[in-house]
Amino acid sequence: MKTIILNFFGRVKAKFKGYRSLPDRIKRSGHRLKEKTTGVLNYSDYKRPIFKLVYTLILLTLFIAVLTVLLPPLWLFVSSFKDAAELESVPYSFWPDSFDLKKLGEVWRMLDFGKYYSNTFIVAVGAVASSVVFNGLLAYAFAVIKPKGWRFFYALVLAGYMIPAITSIVPLYKSIVDLGFINSFLPLWFVFGANAFYLIMFKSYFELLPKALFEAARIDGASDAEIFFKIVLPLSKPVVGVVSIFTMTAAWSDFLLPYLILMDDKMMTVMVKIYNIQATMGTITGFGPDKLLMVLTISILPQILLFIFFQRRITGSVATAGLKD
Amino acid sequence: MKLILMKKEKSVKKPEKVVDRSSISYRAKIFIKKNLAGWLIMLPGVALFSFFVWAPLVQNISLSFYRTVGFERAEFVGFANYVRVFGDPIFIQAFKNTFKYVLYSLAIGFIIPIFLGLLLSEVVHFKSLFRIGLYFPSIISGIAVVIMWSYLFNPNPGAVLNAAARIFRLGPFKFLDNPKASIPLIVLTMTWRGMGATALIYLSALQNVDTAQYEAARIDGANAWQRMRHITLPHLRPTVRMLFILQIISVFQVFYEPLVMTKGGGPNGASVSLLLLSYQYAFQKFDASASAAVGVILSFIIIALTVVYLRLSARRDKDLIRPFRPRRAKR
Repeated sequence: MKTIILNFFGRVKAKFKGYRSLPDRIKRSGHRLKEKTTGVLNYSDYKRPIFKLVYTLILLTLFIAVLTVLLPPLWLFVSSFKDAAELESVPYSFWPDSFDLKKLGEVWRMLDFGKYYSNTFIVAVGAVASSVVFNGLLAYAFAVIKPKGWRFFYALVLAGYMIPAITSIVPLYKSIVDLGFINSFLPLWFVFGANAFYLIMFKSYFELLPKALFEAARIDGASDAEIFFKIVLPLSKPVVGVVSIFTMTAAWSDFLLPYLILMDDKMMTVMVKIYNIQATMGTITGFGPDKLLMVLTISILPQILLFIFFQRRITGSVATAGLKD
Repeated sequence: MKLILMKKEKSVKKPEKVVDRSSISYRAKIFIKKNLAGWLIMLPGVALFSFFVWAPLVQNISLSFYRTVGFERAEFVGFANYVRVFGDPIFIQAFKNTFKYVLYSLAIGFIIPIFLGLLLSEVVHFKSLFRIGLYFPSIISGIAVVIMWSYLFNPNPGAVLNAAARIFRLGPFKFLDNPKASIPLIVLTMTWRGMGATALIYLSALQNVDTAQYEAARIDGANAWQRMRHITLPHLRPTVRMLFILQIISVFQVFYEPLVMTKGGGPNGASVSLLLLSYQYAFQKFDASASAAVGVILSFIIIALTVVYLRLSARRDKDLIRPFRPRRAKR
C-alpha cells in the first residue's frame, strides 16, 4: 500500500516537473516546424507560407474536434450542479448559479451511493485478478508450453472472438442461474478470465520472452505453475499493466451481465444502478433529471481519474494493440 | 560403512528394467507425461472459455430448434422458430434497422477517424492534448455515455441543444423522438465515443511509414498531394480494410444505445436493432427460442462478414507496396 501511495505522488511530481508555462511552450514551438522530419509535410514544405496556412488549418480542425469531444462531459459536469428548473431555463445558461457541493452530498446520501461504489470496486478488482491469471495461464500454455492440442483450443478461442457473446446470453444466463450464481460476483469475475482479446495480447507478449529463461528454470526444478507466477508474470509487467487497466475500465463499465445477475439492490454495481434509476425515473419522489446528472458525474469520476494517471499507457497501448472498447 | 556397502550391492543387483519402447502403453505414458503439465495449465482457462463462450454458443443453436417453456427446452420443432421470427414484423424492422445502422455508421463514423488520424500524424504541437482529448470518451462507460447523450438530446425547446440551435434560428428539434433521426443520432453518439480510439489506431499505422519513402518521393518531384495519395494512403489501406470490417461487426452489436436512448428501440421500433430484439424476446417476452433464433441469425451474418474480411486481408500484402511513379507529361 505504501509503495502504491509513494508511486502515486511520484507520478504527480513528475507531471509538474515536466511542466512548462504556456508562453514558454509557444516560444519553443516555433522551432518545431523547422525541425519536423516526419509525415507527409516536413520542414522543407514549411518554408513556404501556403503550408503554414495548411498547418494552421490542421491545428484548428483538431482543436474543434477536441472541443466537440470534451464539451459534452463538461456540460454534464456543470449541469449536474444545476437544479431541475435551471436545466431548461430560458434564456439558457451554460454555467449553473452556484457550484454547491451540498447537492453532491445530498444525492450521495439519498441513494447511499457508497455501497454501489464498493460493489463495483470488488467486481473490478476480482475481474482484474481473474483476467490476468486465467488468460495469462492459457496464453502461457499456448505460447510457451504448447502441449498437444493447443492449436485446436487456440482456433476455438479465435472463432469465439468474432461472435459477440451477447448473442448467446440466454444459455449463459440459464447456466449461471442453474449454478445458483444469481446475486453473486463470481460470474462477473470469471467472465473476464475468458477474454480472447486479452489472451491474444498475453500470448504475443509471452512469445517475445527468451526461451532460455524457461529452460533454465525447468532445469532448476521449477514447475510450470512456478515458472508462470515467479518468472513470466514479473517479466511481463507492461502487458499485465495494460490488460489490468483495460479489464478495470471494462469491468467498471460492464452492463448487461451484471444487470441480469445482480438483482438485489445491495449487490448492484454503479452502472446497473444508474440504468435502473434512469429507467424508473419519476417513480422515486424528489429524484429529478438534475439529480440523475449528478449521479452520472459521480459514476464516471473514477474512470476519469484512472485515465488521468494512466493516460500515456492507455493511449500508447491503443496505438500498439489496435484496440477499441 | 556397512550401510554404504549394502546399498551399493543393492543397486548393482537391481535388474535392468526392460522397456519395450515401441509398445503403445509406453508411448501413451510418455505422451501423457510430456503434455500433462501443459494440459493442467490450460485447464482453468479452457474451462472458463467453455462455460462463458463456447457452451452458450452451441446451446444457443440447439435452443433455436426447440420450443421452449421458460428457458427450458420442451420439444424439437425444426426451423419453426426461424419461420416464426421471420414472420414477425418487428424482426423485419430490426433487420432493416441494423442495416441502416451500418450504412449510417459508415457514412458518419468511418471517414472521420481516418481524417483525424491523418491530421494527428501531421501535427507537432499539442500532440498529447489532441491524442488524450480525442481518446477521452472511450474510457467513459458506454451506459453513462448514452444516458448523458439522451439528456443532451432533450427535445424540450428550453433544453441545451435546442437552446444552442436557436442561436442559428433553427429548431426546436425533436431529436430522438423523430423516427427518422433516431438512428443517425445514435450513430453520432457512437462515433463521438469511438472516433478518438479509432483515430489512434490509424495514427499508429501512419507512424510506421518510413520517412525515407517521403524523402525519395520528394526527390522524384512528388508534391504533397501526390505523396499522400501514393505513399500515405496505400500504407493505410490494410488498416482501413481491417477497421472497415471491424466497424461493421461492432455496429451489428448495437444494443444498449437504443435500449437507453430510445427507451427500447422507439419511437415505434424505428431504432430497434437485432441484438436488442434478441434481448427483448428473451427477457421481456420470455420467448427464449425466438431470442436464440435471432442470436443465431446475427452470428451467421457476423461470421459471413468475418470470412469476407479474412479473404480480403489475405490480399493485403500485395497491395501494400505500390511504388510511386511520377506521372509523365502528356504528349
